[in-house]
Amino acid sequence: MALDDRLDLRRSDLSLTYRPQREWIEGRGLLLVIAHFFSAAGAGAWIFGAWFDVRAAQIVALVTIAILSGWAHVFFLGRWSRFWRMARRPHRSWISRGLWSMGIYMVGAVGVLLVGGDEGPIGDVLLAVSLAGAGLLLLYEGFVYSASVGIPFWRTVMLPLLSVAYGLRGGAAVLLILAALGEGTFDIDAVEVVKLWVVLSTAVLVAIYLAAAGRAGGAARESMRQLVSGRISPVFYGGTIAVGIVVPLALGAASLIGGSALLLLGVIGGASLIGDFYVRYSIVKAGVYVPLQGAGLPAVGGRG
Amino acid sequence: MRLGMVIDLKRCIGCYGCQVACKAENGTRPGTTYARLLKIETGTFPNVRRTTLPLLCMHCADPPCVDVCPTGASQKREDGIVFIDTEWCVGCRACMMACPYGARYYQDEAHLYFGDVLTPYEEVRYADHLEGVVEKCDFCRHRLEQGLEPACVANCMAKARIFGDLDDPESEVSRLVREEAGFQLNPELGTDPSVFYLAAVR
Repeated sequence: MALDDRLDLRRSDLSLTYRPQREWIEGRGLLLVIAHFFSAAGAGAWIFGAWFDVRAAQIVALVTIAILSGWAHVFFLGRWSRFWRMARRPHRSWISRGLWSMGIYMVGAVGVLLVGGDEGPIGDVLLAVSLAGAGLLLLYEGFVYSASVGIPFWRTVMLPLLSVAYGLRGGAAVLLILAALGEGTFDIDAVEVVKLWVVLSTAVLVAIYLAAAGRAGGAARESMRQLVSGRISPVFYGGTIAVGIVVPLALGAASLIGGSALLLLGVIGGASLIGDFYVRYSIVKAGVYVPLQGAGLPAVGGRG
Repeated sequence: MRLGMVIDLKRCIGCYGCQVACKAENGTRPGTTYARLLKIETGTFPNVRRTTLPLLCMHCADPPCVDVCPTGASQKREDGIVFIDTEWCVGCRACMMACPYGARYYQDEAHLYFGDVLTPYEEVRYADHLEGVVEKCDFCRHRLEQGLEPACVANCMAKARIFGDLDDPESEVSRLVREEAGFQLNPELGTDPSVFYLAAVR
């Protein structure tokens, strides 16, 4: 974006009571949403891969987290060569904890894949380490956003819950896609049931999240309004609801009743992953800052 | 010691002197204004009022920006000043999400005022500012070390800005907050800003 355009945008934001956040969604900021999507889906794929003993899912998980998510995280940074410094404050910063989680996960995951089918104590320890890392990866994303004091829409315990739920969804979706590609032999019916349950759960969680935001008032309510009836509603209804919830639910129910065609399962998995990305995109894009207020002053934006 | 500022909205005439002084003192790039003004219009014609609201980093006593920083680049000093060590900043912008006051600026590209060529002024001043990091007001630490007030305070022609130690009950800032009902912006967020305002109408 040209300098004049950026300054004009900043000036127009200034006139708004509810100033939208742009740093974590526009330009290079989009890489952060992509990174979180990959890390959550990868973590979910690892967990389900371990549960259903699908090595292909575990390999996909490691590649997704280490390479796709890792590099998206790094290149999002303004000074990416300094990324290792983010490990300095795990006692205070959720971003630090995320980096440590990724490291813990990768140590365990690489070990598990190298050890192969070793069921002994070493394999068990490595698996436990990798699962712990994957679990932390599912959690940390939601807490990174909920730590943002300036954006009330994100400042809720619902975001970590949504982060975990959508991560598990993504993991199940990866398994369905692998099944459609003929990778791995596992109980596909069980995966379908888990998938259906997770999709329903995320739909309920999204509904609760939006309802809570609406009741909260102020900037949270404005974010919810922008999501369901404002500038972000096309993406929200198209990506998050239609492709991400309705399609998987409808096709999933049909496959449970009429039998599972592998291609159908692949479509469900793909649609679900698209929805996973767009729910993150929608929530991050809907973030607006709390308007500045003081005694006797009307609520205003704040960017100069 | 807790350094802070009181801004008298009755005295402020919205001349932008503070914004210009800050820019000149800190040599910031286009689009980066550590000190800035908001012009707020209230009421309906013919009973319309315009209030100018000077904004800057609030140097909060409980700064959320410091908590979220993964590298420790955002720090709070003993005297209460919140600053960024740009040598440690990685540009993750988590602090920008945490700050409710819009006080932080990400330096994403080498924006220049005049085309693609640096002016002699820009060559000198922009050398102090890294790309890919976040910057903000630091109460002109470099001036405080020389016994001077922050540039915005020193240059305010209306004497609308008062700077001092909020922990000293005898200081002018403490007296004004106490006697003139100084208020903070968004106290409900629990950040406890060190910048107080005095109402325009009182």
